[in-house]
Amino acid sequence: MELADRAVGFILASISVTIFTYYTFWVIILPFVDKDHFVHNYFLPQEYAILLPVYAGVTLICFLSFFIGHVMLKSKKKKT
Amino acid sequence: MKHIAKIMAFLMAVTAVWISLLQTKMIPQSHTWLLPLYFIVSLGCYGLLMVGVGLMQFPTCPQEAVLLQQDVIEAKQFLKHNGVDVGTD
Repeated sequence: MELADRAVGFILASISVTIFTYYTFWVIILPFVDKDHFVHNYFLPQEYAILLPVYAGVTLICFLSFFIGHVMLKSKKKKT
Repeated sequence: MKHIAKIMAFLMAVTAVWISLLQTKMIPQSHTWLLPLYFIVSLGCYGLLMVGVGLMQFPTCPQEAVLLQQDVIEAKQFLKHNGVDVGTD
């Protein structure tokens, strides 16, 4: 059982480190690199560096409000 | 209310630093515009990292688990002996 917990924890930590390094590279280091360098092929255009987190944040807020509304409606229906 | 005041003061300080960075052009302007978003993403990453590390280091206490199971069996026997319905076995 604890091995499964450890594996999940390790996967979460590695995902977070990957996202952090990728995003740091994208936002901070890439604008200083020449346009002809090959490393630009591995990163999406810079507009996506703004669009993707905003899109993820908006999705998260939508999901949270939907969940809260759903729970509130269910509790109200059960009371009557 | 005091905790909210502290959080608001911290946010105001960060906003002031960001605006001052925009005015004095120490960092290229394109970078300065992206800084708040970068900090939010890195904060989310940090939270996820802490959750993962906590999961990896959680202690499971196997001896206590065995003792607990023994306690549960003992309690069930005692209650059944005294006539209380302990449910499915």
